[in-house]
Amino acid sequence: MGFWGQFGVWLAALLTIGIISFLYKDNFLYKACEAIFVGISAGYWFIVYYWDNLYKKFYLQVTNHDLTSWERIIPWVGFILGVMMLSRLFEKIGWLSRWPLAFIVGATAGLYMMIYFVSNAMAQVASTIIPVFIGDWATIIANFFIVAGTFCGLVYFFFSKEHKGAFGLASRVGIWFLMITFGASFGYTVMSRMSLMIGRLDFLFGTWLGMIK
Amino acid sequence: MNLKLIVIFLLMLCLGSFALAETNTVNKDSTAVDSIAPPAPVTMFKAFDTPNDHGHSITLNWQLSADDGAGQNSVLQYQIYRWVPYLMDSLTTLRKAMTTVKEEEIKRGHEKVLKKEMRSLKKEYNAVLKELPSAHKAYPNNGYWKEVGKVPAGTKSYKNTGSKEKESQDYLPDLTDFYYRVDAVTKDSTVRASSKVFGPVQCSGQWFNTGRIPVLVAVILFTFLTIYFVEKAKNGAKLYVRPLSGIEAVDDAIGRATEMGRPILYILGLGSVADIATIASFTILSRVAKQVAEYQTELLVPTYDPLVMAVAQEVVKSAYLDAGRPDDYKEDTVHFVTQSQFAYVAAVNGIMLRELPATNIYMGVFFAESLILAETGALAGSIQIAGTDQIAQIPFFIVACDYTLIGEELYAASAYLGREPLLLGSLKAQDYAKALVIILAIIGLIMSNFGWTQFTDLFKVAN
Amino acid sequence: MKKKEVVIVSLLIIFAFVLKYLIPKPVEFSYTVSMIVIILLGLVFVYILIRTLQGQLIGRRVVFLLVGISLSLPFFMKLTLNIPVSPEVRSVYDALQKLPPGSKVLAAFDYDPPSAPELQPMAVAFMKYAFDRGLKVIIMGLWPQGPQQADQAIQSAFKAEPSLKKKIKYGRDYVNLGFQAGNEFVILRMGESFKAMFPSDLYNTPYDSIPLLNNVSNFSNIDFCMDFSAGKPGTAEWVQIAVDRFKLPVAAGNTAVQAPMVYPYLNSHQLVGLLGGMSGGAAFEKLTKKPGKATTYILSQSFAHVVVVIFIIIGNVAYFSRKKEKK
Repeated sequence: MGFWGQFGVWLAALLTIGIISFLYKDNFLYKACEAIFVGISAGYWFIVYYWDNLYKKFYLQVTNHDLTSWERIIPWVGFILGVMMLSRLFEKIGWLSRWPLAFIVGATAGLYMMIYFVSNAMAQVASTIIPVFIGDWATIIANFFIVAGTFCGLVYFFFSKEHKGAFGLASRVGIWFLMITFGASFGYTVMSRMSLMIGRLDFLFGTWLGMIK
Repeated sequence: MNLKLIVIFLLMLCLGSFALAETNTVNKDSTAVDSIAPPAPVTMFKAFDTPNDHGHSITLNWQLSADDGAGQNSVLQYQIYRWVPYLMDSLTTLRKAMTTVKEEEIKRGHEKVLKKEMRSLKKEYNAVLKELPSAHKAYPNNGYWKEVGKVPAGTKSYKNTGSKEKESQDYLPDLTDFYYRVDAVTKDSTVRASSKVFGPVQCSGQWFNTGRIPVLVAVILFTFLTIYFVEKAKNGAKLYVRPLSGIEAVDDAIGRATEMGRPILYILGLGSVADIATIASFTILSRVAKQVAEYQTELLVPTYDPLVMAVAQEVVKSAYLDAGRPDDYKEDTVHFVTQSQFAYVAAVNGIMLRELPATNIYMGVFFAESLILAETGALAGSIQIAGTDQIAQIPFFIVACDYTLIGEELYAASAYLGREPLLLGSLKAQDYAKALVIILAIIGLIMSNFGWTQFTDLFKVAN
Repeated sequence: MKKKEVVIVSLLIIFAFVLKYLIPKPVEFSYTVSMIVIILLGLVFVYILIRTLQGQLIGRRVVFLLVGISLSLPFFMKLTLNIPVSPEVRSVYDALQKLPPGSKVLAAFDYDPPSAPELQPMAVAFMKYAFDRGLKVIIMGLWPQGPQQADQAIQSAFKAEPSLKKKIKYGRDYVNLGFQAGNEFVILRMGESFKAMFPSDLYNTPYDSIPLLNNVSNFSNIDFCMDFSAGKPGTAEWVQIAVDRFKLPVAAGNTAVQAPMVYPYLNSHQLVGLLGGMSGGAAFEKLTKKPGKATTYILSQSFAHVVVVIFIIIGNVAYFSRKKEKK
């Protein structure tokens, strides 16, 4: 690693420590690091969007003479819709921005209707309809929990009937299932955050200070 | 004399070659006897256009060879062959030439000569493409059998899917006569048995995918339910929505803030105006603002998105109007903070610690800031009510808030408070869809426990 | 900037210099020292618990400090941990194991540096394993920085196993198609044509002149797909489009935050298997017998988890003892 490589590592290390210092209390170093982070990420994303969308998807397409003229016209439609999006900045013609929005909402709704019905509704319902009392004990218990959890969860999110009696019981069981799920997801989140911290510590102790192998 | 010599020479040559041929066949037979006898070919071989696709694909079916898994058990794999005219090879040559030109273009830049060359190559390519159907019709002349795939023994079908891109290597044109055969191949790849040739068969795309009929039925049913209930709500029918504890708590919380003389903080989250959660949040904000106006309490709405701010201002303004106190409305009740996630959090945290609001309401789309906000609010001793459809954030709100609207409850809450026919109707439709799912699933469960899986298959969407 | 802050920053830099240039490396605790450290940490927690029972609560900074310490110390310990292998990790391994050498595997890199600590170890292990088995890897990304992460993963794999570097050739054994904007629509279009979405690879080589891609036109030519994902677009989109529409077998490596949301797809067999977070990565490294970063990290991870569990207990003790007092 040359001088600039080392310089980069030192800078990254100091920025990392600066951000972590927030855990003690809000301070100047943290504020400086945050401002640098916000500024750099804004700039970075601007560049990414420019090269990947405007340049690659638009400029390269319309100037590519290998494509048929029809294929070269289509990106212009996208470009015009994109420009219309910017009309929001001007109050008088702001309504123009609704057209591209309508296009996006319509296209994605159409695509997702199919996708969600197939993957998230039908397939999930099919996977809930399982023979509960077939298999060894562990399978039976696991299947029972899947079925009971799904039913009670659905009952909890049923708003047209007051949750009383047997219905209320099912809904209470449903909320228990939900809470256990949230607990699991909470645990996973803690695990994830720890992993991120470990990644930083590995950088500090390994790459920066060279204290570990 | 010369003639005689030539005749004798020719005769000898013939005999010699016969002898050689004989030894060859003897050799071959002997190895065959040593190792493997030719297997039985596959039977009932059929090829047809793959159903429910966009074309460019042929499906093949057959019955296993008698020697696959039974008999001599000598079949190792099946090789699938398609008859292709020589014309296909000239396509490959042209394609290679085009790639070379493209590589040159990358090296040398877009020169005119290259462009011209490319154009003429393309023209030629397209001309050849046009000839393809007639060349296929010429079967079995001017062509050869080409292996298009192989499958292990025990397999009874194969899908020969090509590309629809004309310039692609495995372009499989629609509406062209194809001929197929399947070879049962043994360990020794020379020992094999070919099936009868099947053809002609053509592929084409279908307008309607019959495999997705279950989805169509579900969509129609759901649309019908939605329209029905929306209409019903519009006609003034009273649709019951169960009370939600989180929403009931809002009333108490506003009362508490009034008693304590402290403000109410309403956070709309990081969502945009297009997010359903944000839209639901506007309805709740409207209700809160109306009550706040009636009780003459202070309301603070710091926002993250400028458009959300503009809408929220309108919402609060009209709520004050509805409450009959338009003069109490202050322009800076709803204000913009920043569009940087953690900077926004820092600002809101500051408000919480300085103003010490009696109640914090978080409704909308939240991300990693959820816990930071809710924790600070809890430290400040405020009553907190949250609601979001971001499943990953719900646990944090449940831990740090007094009441949490989980997922769909947020939408239900807005329908409950807003009483708008569109919201109420779709909420009702969802409820009935859920009830239907529960009933169908229960029927399916009972049936599947008796081993009847036909019912479950109704939910399986092909492709 | 206050005077105090300048002093602190300068002290920090001096301290770092001392650590970096004056202390012998690498720093490693022996087994006995490690045990003593663990016991000392345990005593600290017992002390905190007693104080909590007495009604004196600790501040949040103490929690941060102890979590930090428990994350840092294992880096210097020479302990090995038995890593359990969950069924969902095993099914990823089994599915890969079943692929004959030469099979084409699509590796989607849908994450960026912020999620790298969790996903990079899995990606490296996957690359090592795939190259070792002779699988052909086609790399792409729905996130702009994904392909760079893939490149780094391959470099780390080569560094860890130099024999691979000689064996593996770009264009023949793997190819990096780069990033394409368009989220799930990219997957949708790839179902019909890879080339339409990726006319050239990351290094601008035309699609047709890459030997590995000669017979690859769409998902029907791909034997398996491995998606490393940190959010959206990611595993859900791959399942919804590539699996449900194009019947491509897909397995995923996910950040732990995302894993619970992917489990329903696992249960319905839409997803072949799942490597969830650091522990999933470590288990995969164990199965492939190629220990890497995840195996090293998992010790810190486990330490931190124990500490979090202890704090949850202490927190509950504090909560209930206060409740009692109020009564």
